Amino acid sequence: MTILSIEDLKCHYVTDGSVVKAVDGISFDIYEGEIFGIVGESGSGKTTIALEIMGLLPENVNIYGEVVYNGKTISNLSGEERDKFRWKDIAIVFQNGLEVLNPVINVGRQVTEPMIKHLGLSHEEAEKRCMELFEMTGLDSSWMSSYPHQLSGGMRQRALLAMALSCSPKLLILDEVTSALDAFSRKEIRDLLLNLQKECCYTMIVISHDITFVSSVASKIAVMYMGKIVETGPVRDVITSPRHPYSRGLIHSTPDIFIYKDMWGIPGDGFMGGEIPGCPFSPRCTQKTDACTKSAPLLCACGNNGRKIACHRGGIVSLLEAGDLKFCYQLPDKKSLQAVDGVSLDVKEGEVLAVVGQTGSGKSTLAHILAGVMKPQSGEVYFMGEPLCPEGYGSRFNGIQIVFQDPFSSTSSRFTVLDAIKEPLDINKIGTKDERLNMVKDVLGLVRLSSEESFLKKYCGELSGGQRQRVALARAMIMRPKLLIADEITSALDVSTSANVLRLLKGLQNRRGFAMIYISHDLTLTLKIADRIAVMNSGKVVETGNAHDVMLSPSDEYTQRLVGSRIGLCCHTHEAA
Amino acid sequence: MKKDRNSFIFRFLLTLLVILAINFFLPRMMPGDPFSTTSADVAGDEIIVMTEEQREYYIGYYGMDKPQYEQFFIYLKNLAAGDLGKSISYKMPVWSVIKIHLPWTILIVLCATALSTFIGVIFGTISAKNRKKSSDRFMMAGMIAFAEIPSFLLGLILLLIFCVYLRMFPLAGAVTPFAVYGGVLDQAWDIMYHAFLPVVTLSFAQLTGVYLLTRNTLITVTSKDYIRTARGKGLGEKIVWNRHALRNALLPVVTRTGFMIGMMMGGAVLVESVFSYPGIGMTLRAAVVGRDYPLIQGILLVLAVSILVCNLTVDKVYQMLDPRVSV
Ligand code: SF4
Repeated sequence: MTILSIEDLKCHYVTDGSVVKAVDGISFDIYEGEIFGIVGESGSGKTTIALEIMGLLPENVNIYGEVVYNGKTISNLSGEERDKFRWKDIAIVFQNGLEVLNPVINVGRQVTEPMIKHLGLSHEEAEKRCMELFEMTGLDSSWMSSYPHQLSGGMRQRALLAMALSCSPKLLILDEVTSALDAFSRKEIRDLLLNLQKECCYTMIVISHDITFVSSVASKIAVMYMGKIVETGPVRDVITSPRHPYSRGLIHSTPDIFIYKDMWGIPGDGFMGGEIPGCPFSPRCTQKTDACTKSAPLLCACGNNGRKIACHRGGIVSLLEAGDLKFCYQLPDKKSLQAVDGVSLDVKEGEVLAVVGQTGSGKSTLAHILAGVMKPQSGEVYFMGEPLCPEGYGSRFNGIQIVFQDPFSSTSSRFTVLDAIKEPLDINKIGTKDERLNMVKDVLGLVRLSSEESFLKKYCGELSGGQRQRVALARAMIMRPKLLIADEITSALDVSTSANVLRLLKGLQNRRGFAMIYISHDLTLTLKIADRIAVMNSGKVVETGNAHDVMLSPSDEYTQRLVGSRIGLCCHTHEAA
Repeated sequence: MKKDRNSFIFRFLLTLLVILAINFFLPRMMPGDPFSTTSADVAGDEIIVMTEEQREYYIGYYGMDKPQYEQFFIYLKNLAAGDLGKSISYKMPVWSVIKIHLPWTILIVLCATALSTFIGVIFGTISAKNRKKSSDRFMMAGMIAFAEIPSFLLGLILLLIFCVYLRMFPLAGAVTPFAVYGGVLDQAWDIMYHAFLPVVTLSFAQLTGVYLLTRNTLITVTSKDYIRTARGKGLGEKIVWNRHALRNALLPVVTRTGFMIGMMMGGAVLVESVFSYPGIGMTLRAAVVGRDYPLIQGILLVLAVSILVCNLTVDKVYQMLDPRVSV
């Protein structure tokens, strides 16, 4: 049964003539006994929703739409009428802050207050109940006579929780309950909430920027961005395979979900003031089209498990799809080597897919085929929905570029830096001489190389390995690829240089938003940058999945061996068994 | 803690010493002396009522022939023994004079404080509740305009209207002279009857301050998170305002009120003169006119001490009201 439904809710803050649309057309239903999570960065409008459900928005907010509780529209009630619902039916655990509790009234009194008012308890009864609540939330009842400033952040959080539970509400809203807590208390609060939910069957709305926390308690989740829900659905589905570019970015920048990966936030800033026409995420989106800046996408169902997404392109699109690729080398001794054996994979817009495997597993051949450098003997490769044309996509902007393992073969030693980088432009006759020079200087900046005349005139042969790999990268970047295939690009470099190149590459990818296929035999390094991993063994892809899942729970026997084969640096002394 | 206390006592004593010095030397810097009275009608015109010998005799009698610093030390010594000296014009101990007049001043000051605080808080609350509405603006404009009227002028107007024309209130005094009371109640009524207009005048002078302070603090307080919390709990506007908002907003009002009492003691001079109310202010005025040094010193000292005491009390009361200030 629906306990709360929000229909096309809009909350616009009006200050001195300017309007901030904190919540801009949101609808959702919450069923009894469900835990509904709302996640989003700060300023996405989460708290505003909570306050509107409680009817606590200040007067300078224009509210449109409806909040329906148990079949009754409460959003248009007067404050007095709403008091009947407050705390007894709907209670909120306010976001922890120094002044969230009244500084001059002791905590016990503040907790008992609503019980006396709503449940008609006497002072003594309320105090007894307060003691129970304190115990339940893990606070010693001696704190009842303390004042808020004497409590630590964690204790205050518990007191707030006790206060919210005091009248046994049917719907409990939790606003950023974990933000002031350390890891231990966070887990305790989570367990407490789950227990409570089991025992008392509360319906809960959990609002937080902490995706890990929300996903560990909620059953359904909504991802908010600038006042709109961009994606919603069952928690597991959304977390493991986010469909909206924003949810993916958010989830990928969550350290608990990607333990091994380096953190890279979503490029760009969320709030820029002013209004963004069309999709609010379009300034940061890597796959936007013209339609995206014209009209805002609606939240539409996709799939049948209650999943909805607001994106003109139906969520993250596939950039490259390959089906059943085969390639076989004829060896001189008449034997044949099946280097690529029925490989199918797809690369999504803006993601980093790592292909890992031992030397000789067919990774490089696959890379060449995907880049259009080699033709598969069978199977098809589609790039942006079109079959890969014979001349490949390397010769145009927004195509596919590949950077090879060996910088010495990809950039001729006899070329100057300038010539090596602008060669693709020369070949494809793009731009005038000056334009080409400017473009070269730009990409040199991107790969953190000097763009001074003296450096441009240097011969590639004079450069170090790391510099040369960067020049190769610049040469690829000058064509502004949508997909970059990096084939073992760091294996010829020493540790420190390879770390630098890798960070540079990932940084570029993050800022520029291109997709990448990163081919490597080094699993540890891969985990630092990959979103998804495909494991290859003797020409076949044996396992694909979320980088973190593949690493923590490899399902294929070969992957397990690969994961287990990492030696790791051992810092403890070895104890005799 | 102990060190704190020591430094506190030290500071207190130092302040007292400075006050004493000022009290002592300032009156003596005025032209004239106790034995040549200055006519209030003809400014600066000295009328010698004593012969030169008499004068010298008295100067010697009150020890005023000694150098001033010596006199000061004698004054301090006597003070330490609890002796405020003898009033020259009243011909009796200064303390006795003060004892007669101080209670009247305390009476009107306390009543005025209570009245102005009470009304100011109520008006301030009403104003804050109707913030941005015309009633608030109207009230505020009125209050501020009102504050511009000097209190002695207001006193004069009230005196003219109620005492001279309407004859509702007495023109002077704190009690009806030679009255015989039927009982305590009767006496209290007579006292209130006399004190009424001075109290009203004094409170009007303070009202706007309390009103503005209450209104502004309430507006700040009501934007705080804990008010939202209280509203969210569905406690109803009455409890939200009275228990949650006012209690916080009154903290600065309490402080102000405390300081105000001290200031009003001194400020009562004008109002007391207007209504010829026999309080300490009137006495001070007479003492100044008569150059009654010991009396001036005594009264100023009492006023200074009462201000200090008020400030101390405010600190203590504040500590009791605001749990955040550690005791
Ligand atoms: S593709 Fe368009 S609609 Fe979809 S998220 Fe990107 S900008 Fe928004």
